[in-house]
Amino acid sequence: MLDFNLNIADETDSSQIYDLIIIGGGPAGLTAGLYAARYKLNTLMIEKAFISGGQMAGTEWVENYPGFPEPVLGQKLAQNMESQAKSFGLKIINAYVDSVDLSPKIKEIKSGETIYKTKSVLITTGASPRKLGLANEEQYKGKGISYCATCDGPMYPDKKIAVIGGGNSACEESLFLAKYAKEIVIIQNLDHLTADPIVIEKLKAEPKIKVRLNSTLRSFDFSNALNRQILIEDSVSHQQETLLIDGIFIFVGMIPNTQLFENQLELDHGYIKTDNSLQTNISGVYAAGDVIVKELRQVATAVGDGALAAYKINKFLEDH
Amino acid sequence: MSLLNEKIINQVKDLFKGLEKPVTMKFFTQEMECQFCKETHSLVEEIASTSNKIKFEVYDFQKDTEQVKAHKIDKIPALVVMDEKDRGIRFFGIPSGYEFSSLISAIMLVSTGRHQLKKSTIDFLNYIQKPVHLQVFVSPTCPYCPPAVILAHQMAYVNDYITADMVESSEFTPLAIKYQVQGVPRTIVNDTEYLEGAAPEEYLIEKIKASL
Repeated sequence: MLDFNLNIADETDSSQIYDLIIIGGGPAGLTAGLYAARYKLNTLMIEKAFISGGQMAGTEWVENYPGFPEPVLGQKLAQNMESQAKSFGLKIINAYVDSVDLSPKIKEIKSGETIYKTKSVLITTGASPRKLGLANEEQYKGKGISYCATCDGPMYPDKKIAVIGGGNSACEESLFLAKYAKEIVIIQNLDHLTADPIVIEKLKAEPKIKVRLNSTLRSFDFSNALNRQILIEDSVSHQQETLLIDGIFIFVGMIPNTQLFENQLELDHGYIKTDNSLQTNISGVYAAGDVIVKELRQVATAVGDGALAAYKINKFLEDH
Repeated sequence: MSLLNEKIINQVKDLFKGLEKPVTMKFFTQEMECQFCKETHSLVEEIASTSNKIKFEVYDFQKDTEQVKAHKIDKIPALVVMDEKDRGIRFFGIPSGYEFSSLISAIMLVSTGRHQLKKSTIDFLNYIQKPVHLQVFVSPTCPYCPPAVILAHQMAYVNDYITADMVESSEFTPLAIKYQVQGVPRTIVNDTEYLEGAAPEEYLIEKIKASL
């Protein structure tokens, strides 16, 4: 069944002063956008990717978001959130933010050759996949090393794949990859998988997937395309072993996307510190979702953050 | 049965209210149509029927040798989106999934002449006086791919020496193997330089420079 997605960016006007600019269009940003649009705030969302949804859009199935007893496609959920927010008037553009000036009363967001002005800012830039830090990892990105199963999985029909990590992402994405690949080896450095029990159960039912616990990927050699090797080490016996594989998918956690704000906002291990109102250390600048200091990073918690942030921003704008 | 549902058709019609100059879509297929040729054929036909500004022409890859040669078509299904002249904008394989947006963007680009390229990019493109061939390998399920395709198409639109192809990897496997495509988007510049991902335009310019 062929599917067709249409997503054309809105036109913007950089001469006006927005009430609110939201940087990042994941579930936190989209929820805030929906609420802000319903508060009739003149709101612009700037999303760097072509489609909204952030990490949610790169996930195949979302199974723990309430209201969807059948698993919902991450991209579908993202699309739904986006069209709901747009139906109330949220404007979304697809662009990179190059720099921000957050301190003044009227804040400036620079993107390419355009400077957008706004009375308040909500940062919902989320987090990106963490790299392993192996030699040549960057060089082979997209040429054997991948961080996105829904993007690159179809490139590995009947191939053998190593998946690095043992959390929910690694296990769920392995199940997706099993649609294409012949064999999948999950390489997990701990003595157990850290994914939710329900995910582990599914994993066990998939004969294509094997799990190697207490194993660490030490290095890889992809110089010969027909004979790609990885070297793994057992953390108990310290024995090393070479495996022949065709590609590596890495899911070893996330790093917050806060490089833009490093010199302006208070951070903790890269994550943005906020108060109970989700305001940062700068007045009129709020943050929500995976990018802030918090304990549980899920679509459900991001959505809650987004709603609260929009509510507080609306109050802030009324008071200032 | 139509491929596009009513909701999408209405969205397209809405966007196409903004069309200005007429656009021609030249579609290349053959008598015994391959599966994707058939589907691409209906898709393009359905899109063309949404606006009277769009002209739709079908050519036979085997028989219409003049057209094939004029637009340098070497595989099918192939689609050229052009106005009175060939702008170097090509789609090889079906623009379904997220690539549907790349197709609609290309039609709007050719019709309105409006692009999002930075001034510095235009300045650079104005210097190019040698052929540049950009091949952007994609998969329809990849949400990061359309920006790479749209960027390449915009460059092709601005400079006549540049040709930009969307290539749907799974329909042209030997080509994807030739260029070692294992992740998408992957842009091949003049057969010699490679760019991974939906990178900013400066990165693509660097690769074009290196390929010249």
